[in-house]
Amino acid sequence: MAPFAKALFWCVCTLAVYLAARRLHRACGRWWSSPLLVTWTACGLLIVLLRASYHEYLAGTHWLVWLLGPATIAFAIPIHRHRAMIRQHWLLLSVGVVVGSLLAIATSWAFASFFELSPELRASLLPRSITTPLAMDASRLLGGVPELTAVFTALTGLFGAAVGETLLHVLPVRSYFARGALFGMGAHGAGVAKATELGQEEGVIASLIMIFSGQFTILLVALTTLL
Amino acid sequence: MDLGPQIKSVPLSLGRPTRQLLQTGALIGFWWLIQSLVNALHLPLPGSMVGLVLLWVMLDRGVLPLHWLEHGADGLLKHLMLFFVPAMLALVDHPEMLSLLGVKLFVTVLACTLIVMAGTACVVELGFRLCHGSVR
Repeated sequence: MAPFAKALFWCVCTLAVYLAARRLHRACGRWWSSPLLVTWTACGLLIVLLRASYHEYLAGTHWLVWLLGPATIAFAIPIHRHRAMIRQHWLLLSVGVVVGSLLAIATSWAFASFFELSPELRASLLPRSITTPLAMDASRLLGGVPELTAVFTALTGLFGAAVGETLLHVLPVRSYFARGALFGMGAHGAGVAKATELGQEEGVIASLIMIFSGQFTILLVALTTLL
Repeated sequence: MDLGPQIKSVPLSLGRPTRQLLQTGALIGFWWLIQSLVNALHLPLPGSMVGLVLLWVMLDRGVLPLHWLEHGADGLLKHLMLFFVPAMLALVDHPEMLSLLGVKLFVTVLACTLIVMAGTACVVELGFRLCHGSVR
């Protein structure tokens, strides 16, 4: 096949699988039917089965990755929409963001040191608790591999959203604020979806914690690269 | 038959998909502009982060009305996961992940996620009770 035809094939294939996965998820709504997980595994299997290379795959789908930049900018809209909530609870939101982000970085650092991982892998692990586009940016600044960060971040989100409710039964956490913070900090995008199922307020807190922890981590990382 | 008013109202009543497409295009253009500026000035921050803060300030100051961009933004955010799936597939180029290394990384991600979720929730719960006396 010509390179152009190959690129077109992978582009159409990714979009078709994604649309089908969305439909499947709407019908059954379980964590394993997440469009992210389904599209990832289905396209991954197809690449391996057809003996294609990642380079060929990316030729047709690179424009999707390129849309991460504009999508990150779009986070300004939810921030603006919930400005009343932010003004009212800025202190507690800041506490959640700072504690959660530092905890995420510190635990990743500790485990990476314990397992004696390479500096490159450690840098790819550090930002995995924030939303994927910002995590990939942070990883790039730290000298990590953004693509691996995307994998770790997605795993974090899938796992966090799957165990979050069980964790809420075990922990002495009753306020909507803490329940939202648990999902927003622990499982970013997937967590926000889960928190919204618990309640509107939980969802808003989760999305604000997610966006601000991403910004906080990026600032922290940018500062350390300047030093 | 008088078609006047209907014809006049056409530019104002763009369909939702058209509006969403135009707004998405505007966001892409804005990001591209900011990214070029950031590159030219050698700022140590990603362009998406600078753009996010700038857009937030412009919305807050009323420079830009929310309805100019919100459909485009909602659309981009709704499909966010589609945009990073291709990056995640780079895993096919990392066969070393199928060894003990992969297990170590898997354990790290799961354990850290539990600690982050539990720690954040407990600290925020404590703060909430201190601020509000009781729950809810």
